[in-house]
Amino acid sequence: MLKYYEDVIVDSPFPVLKKDPISRVQLVKYAGASGDFNPLHTVEEVGQAAGSGIIAHGMLIMGMASQGVTTWIERKYIESIRVRFQKMTFPGEQIHVIGKIIKKIENNRVIGEVKAVNDEGEVKVSGVFEAMLLSKDKEG
Amino acid sequence: MSKVMDLIGLELSPYSYSVDKVKIKEFAEAIGDLNPIYFNEEAARQEGYDGIPIPLTFLQVIDMWGGYSFMEKCHILGLNPVKILHGEQEYKFVKPIYANDVLTVKGKVDEVNIKKGSSGGMNIITLKFEYHNQVNELVAVSTNVTIDRH
Repeated sequence: MLKYYEDVIVDSPFPVLKKDPISRVQLVKYAGASGDFNPLHTVEEVGQAAGSGIIAHGMLIMGMASQGVTTWIERKYIESIRVRFQKMTFPGEQIHVIGKIIKKIENNRVIGEVKAVNDEGEVKVSGVFEAMLLSKDKEG
Repeated sequence: MSKVMDLIGLELSPYSYSVDKVKIKEFAEAIGDLNPIYFNEEAARQEGYDGIPIPLTFLQVIDMWGGYSFMEKCHILGLNPVKILHGEQEYKFVKPIYANDVLTVKGKVDEVNIKKGSSGGMNIITLKFEYHNQVNELVAVSTNVTIDRH
């Protein structure tokens, strides 16, 4: 895991986090855990009426993107994350979380990019995060 | 002027909710994030946390379970539940949030934009939420952008 500001290599990709395919049971679990009971995520008829079929919670995909970020950099160093929901995700799709640091800024802070994509590379969620890392200077 | 513009500045009634370690576990498990810091206090302390921390998107739990349900929110904001999309979401963390913290949340409509497009227009509604802990420290701010298609 990335810990020190001095170790950051801008634009070097982090290891890809490959998630299990999204199941309907997972959507039921996420609905209960998050409290988002929009029926579009769990009820077949509502999905049909909407024309899309059942779709995954966007926030579940953001949660997976966040999991990716916190496998690259410890949770406690993350100061913010902002995402844009770009495409619907359907049960059966498998999310890959990719990312890299795009900029080093002052005070040991870095800005990173994170994307959740499917097997075909379609971007479902894209975003940026900011982290404050440690400095080797201050460790001595 | 459209009625939706009247929403700007609308303040939602505050709500409070305690961060429960069982809920953190349930939430992390639903995402499939098995990082031990979310499941075991000892593991979290060994990693330098003062308790079980919340996953980056956990504040959604506080908002949905402690605040307004999806349908209530649609009603307050005059949104059509089958026409809306979650456009963007941001969390900014000011101080750590751990299991057993009690958060009080104040939300308001920060911005409304109306866009016209070839396939019909949309209202873009930005909500901002501030989270204070039990000793009244600001711990996080979230921004939610909802798109309501006409």
